[in-house]
Amino acid sequence: MLAVRDGELNALGELFERHHGRLYGFLLKLTGDRSTAEDLTQTVFQRMLKYRHTYRDQGNFAAWMYHLARRCTADHVRRSSAAPRPIDPADLNLHADDAPHAAGQASVHDDHRLLYAALALLDRDDREVLLLSRFQELSFAEIAGILECSVGAAKVRAHRALRELRDAFFRLQRPTPPVS
Amino acid sequence: MDATPQMTCQTAREAFPEFLDFRTAPTARMAERSHLAVCPDCQREFATLTRIATALDEAPSALPSGRMRQRFYAMLEEEKHSARSIHLAAEREHHARGLSLWRRLGLPLAGCALLAAGFVGGTRFSARSPESQDHSDPEARRQLADLQQRVNAMGQLVGYSLIQQRHSPTVDRLQGVLTSASRENPPPQVINELISALALDPSAHVRLSALDGLAAHLEQEVVRAGVLACLAREENPLVQVSMIDLLATARDASARPAIEKLSTNVTTDRNVRDAARRALAQL
Ligand SMILES: [Zn+2]
Repeated sequence: MLAVRDGELNALGELFERHHGRLYGFLLKLTGDRSTAEDLTQTVFQRMLKYRHTYRDQGNFAAWMYHLARRCTADHVRRSSAAPRPIDPADLNLHADDAPHAAGQASVHDDHRLLYAALALLDRDDREVLLLSRFQELSFAEIAGILECSVGAAKVRAHRALRELRDAFFRLQRPTPPVS
Repeated sequence: MDATPQMTCQTAREAFPEFLDFRTAPTARMAERSHLAVCPDCQREFATLTRIATALDEAPSALPSGRMRQRFYAMLEEEKHSARSIHLAAEREHHARGLSLWRRLGLPLAGCALLAAGFVGGTRFSARSPESQDHSDPEARRQLADLQQRVNAMGQLVGYSLIQQRHSPTVDRLQGVLTSASRENPPPQVINELISALALDPSAHVRLSALDGLAAHLEQEVVRAGVLACLAREENPLVQVSMIDLLATARDASARPAIEKLSTNVTTDRNVRDAARRALAQL
């Protein structure tokens, strides 16, 4: 990105190839909509170009990218009031590697459907911190930077969001709540 | 409920976020881990959280459409031609001007670019020139012999420069991808990797190999869109000509504006312009 900042614009192509798939995946899970996720991915790279002079060689590029992604999503949400729609795994153009083993196919597929449905039930903030926390390329210090909160708060929020996702998942799996 | 006198469930569960975080060392918080080993309640709680975290990590994501790559490169091109970028680029040019091996080889290679296109694609995307089809006419035969000679000369030149790249890790890495790509229905990420290599690999040899791998899957919209997006940023005439021929073979009308642009751009290599004009007739 330093090269891009210094005018070597083709270097952005390399960054695009390396990161756009994962960024798109993040935005898809965050918004639940393929075309919104594509538009937002494009906007993120557009802003990288526009604000390239503000890039500083501190911390990692991915952190900056997700910071921009978060801003773009917030802007988008402000403009449109559409609630996230759960992704139907059947709509996804799955990687062959992800294709579940034949025997467990239906149940694994259902699990994914439930997971996406549960994800859509969370607040956007919870979804955001949870998805960020599962990215290996980001440290909690960077996540805290992206979310503009303390490291401790980011960890607490991520864990709380995971518990909520689990509760939503099991609620959807067993519509009648178990007596505890 | 206490399973061990030293540790309450409450305290143990406070350590769960760390256990679930792959950033934490597996040896951290041993006291809490040993509580987990003996307390069934905490085990259950931990198991459900692990299951969800794993499911989330492994949840399939969609592949972005080929249109996205096209939009991105179109935006990049536009920015490159904006006044601000041109100004900055001119300043940069002033500071450093290093020619890569491929730039230096580019000129002599460009002379043979047309032939190489046939070379690389082989009969698979048959960009046959009319001369090569009529063998009875003596003039055609003479041209064919001449062509053959030039192909041989170019073969040596290309061979020489490709030796530099042959053992690079990228070529080795791409080999596996190319093998998968030669199967009937390669998984989308194989196609994606080939397009990435075509867009980014610094070696023209690798880019040509990637293009060759993609040639078998022209029926896929994502392949045609990928090649088209890469054409805008390609600077090597050899690769440019191969891309143009491929798009012409695919009869992809959406390639027309980009190819038209190349055919009229005076700074474009002559062979590339010729290939572009030929392609326009086909499209
Ligand atoms: Zn316990």
